[in-house]
Parts: sequence; structure tokens; C-alpha cells
Amino acid sequence: MTTKKKIFKIVLIVIGVGVLIGGGVGYYMFNKPARNVQNTETDFSYKASEIVNEYLTDSKKANAKYLAENGESKVLEITGFVAKISEDFNNQKVILLKAEGENAGVSCTFTAETNVNTLNIKMGDQVTIKGVIRSGASFDKDLDMYENVIIEKSDIVSNK
Amino acid sequence: MKKTIFTILAVVAITLTSITASAQKLVSTKTHFKFFSTTPAEDIQANNYKAVGTIEKSTGDIVFSVPMQSFEFEKALMQEHFNSKKFLDTKTNPKAKLVGKIADLSKVDFTKDGSYSVDVTGDLTINGVTNPVKEKATIGVTDGKISLMSKFNLTLNDYKIAFKSGKPSRNIAKTLEVTVEANY
Repeated sequence: MTTKKKIFKIVLIVIGVGVLIGGGVGYYMFNKPARNVQNTETDFSYKASEIVNEYLTDSKKANAKYLAENGESKVLEITGFVAKISEDFNNQKVILLKAEGENAGVSCTFTAETNVNTLNIKMGDQVTIKGVIRSGASFDKDLDMYENVIIEKSDIVSNK
Repeated sequence: MKKTIFTILAVVAITLTSITASAQKLVSTKTHFKFFSTTPAEDIQANNYKAVGTIEKSTGDIVFSVPMQSFEFEKALMQEHFNSKKFLDTKTNPKAKLVGKIADLSKVDFTKDGSYSVDVTGDLTINGVTNPVKEKATIGVTDGKISLMSKFNLTLNDYKIAFKSGKPSRNIAKTLEVTVEANY
């Protein structure tokens, strides 16, 4: 009788621990925070014109290389000249890196936390910005204009 | 000599036409697209600030290009589901697009301050699936600055976006509310 009780007790504990771990993992998965892009290792470093031209040459190939199925796409460091500084509807700073004479550039959106690092950036500065790619450059025949490469969760890496 | 004058005239004419053409086209890079889903289980929303839009004032042609991976959710797991092959397959279809026309363009005076209620008809492509749409929008003119607002419903099944079973099928509404704002 006592052995039976013992086994019963052990089984109960095992089940209890299992439920706790399972629940914990489930809870963590459900609430897991978004990837911190700035703490993620950079996958590729380019000049703005390099990534733009790679997309304009073969956007399918570039999408396969840079975009991830779950949305956690490649983390890029882009170096270029500041062509435009603006702000979006979410009060996030947006810096366009685009060389004169280029058809498209790289549009980098900052965050509430990194906005402050853009304040000393001026038009024409050469800067390196790190962020996650959301979509590539292309000529859109309906818009009848070129679309920029889009980078978000950005921060300034260097400002020469 | 005649030929030279003709060439110069032609060049001038072409330049003028292209200048007028570009002056007629409004471009917006300051945009906000929002998805909102409500079920008894939970409310879910996603925001996107990276779309690009144009309005051709002379014809009423209206276009939006929306980078799908720029939709941000409160929960990382939802965002992963949203991007996945099962849902919006954003790796294969990185952009959604509206190509339409302001059906009642005559109602809008782009030179006069005001709020103009219009119908936009066209084709909406999401997840690689194109459907005809007809939605209401409001064009605003304030001190010469043009803006657009719209709120409409989107049925996921129309775009082959469907969770057949499990939690997402219970927690995501079959019809979403989409809010659009754009400053040109």
C-alpha cells in the first residue's frame, strides 16, 4: 500500500512539474518580446547604392536572400548620404540615405528610443545606420516612381 | 534651321508637359495603415507607417503600395503568424497594393480648403490575391496641403487568408477594420 502511495505521489509530482513547465513555455511563447534588432548581429553591410542596385537588378533573388518567412528579416548596416530627414505618424524619425543621381535610396525608420540619436544628423552627412529590412527597392509602374529599400528599428552606428 | 527650331520647340514642349505632369501628381510617404480585429477573445491591432501613395490630381488615379513586413503587433508571436506562409506569406508577397480611381473626382477642389467625401474604386491586392473594391474616403485640403482618410472592412477569406483551426481561428475576426491616413 505504501509503495502504491509513493508511486502515486511521484506521478502526481511529475505531472505537476510537467504542467508548470508546459504552461511556463506556453506563456513565454505567447508573450515573448519582439526581437531586439540593435542587439542582433548584423548580417550584411552595404553602401546604400549597393543594396538598391541589387534589388533593382533582381528583386526576387534579393527577397529570397534578405526576407524571412516569419518577418524577422536580415539585419543590415547601410552607409550613405542623408538626403531627407522627416518624421512619421508615430513620431519616429525617418532618414533617407540616397546619393545624388540615384533612382532610389534606403529609407530608415528609427524608434522612440533611438530618435534622440538622429538629432545631430544633418542633410548631406555620411552615416551608417543599422536596422531590419522590410522590403526592397523597385520601380513601381502604378505609382510611376521608384520605391526605396525600407529599414526599420534603426539606430545610428557611425556618423563621420 | 527649321529643323533646329522644331527640335528646340519639341524639347521645350516635352519638358513643359513633364513638369505639368509631375506637378499634378501628389506623393505621400507619411502614411499610417492600421488593421483592427475584435473578437470576444481579444482585440488585436497592427500598425504600419511605411506605405507610399500617390494621387494624380488630373485623373483621380490613386495608388498605395504597402510593405507587409512593416506591420507591427503588440505580441511578437502574432507578428510571426501574420508574416508566415499560412497567413500573409510576406516573403513571397512583400507588398500589398491598391490601384484605384477617385470615382467622383469632380466633387474635389484641390485648391480650396475643405473636406471632400469621395468613393474610391479599384483593385486591392493582398497576399497575391486581387479583388475589386469600392470604399469611401475623405480628401482633406488645408492650406494647400492634401490628406486622405479612409476606414473600411476587409474580409480575410476574400484574400485566401484563413486559419482553419486552433487559437488564431477563434481569436482573429473574419472581417478586419482597416484605417488609412496619408499626408501628401
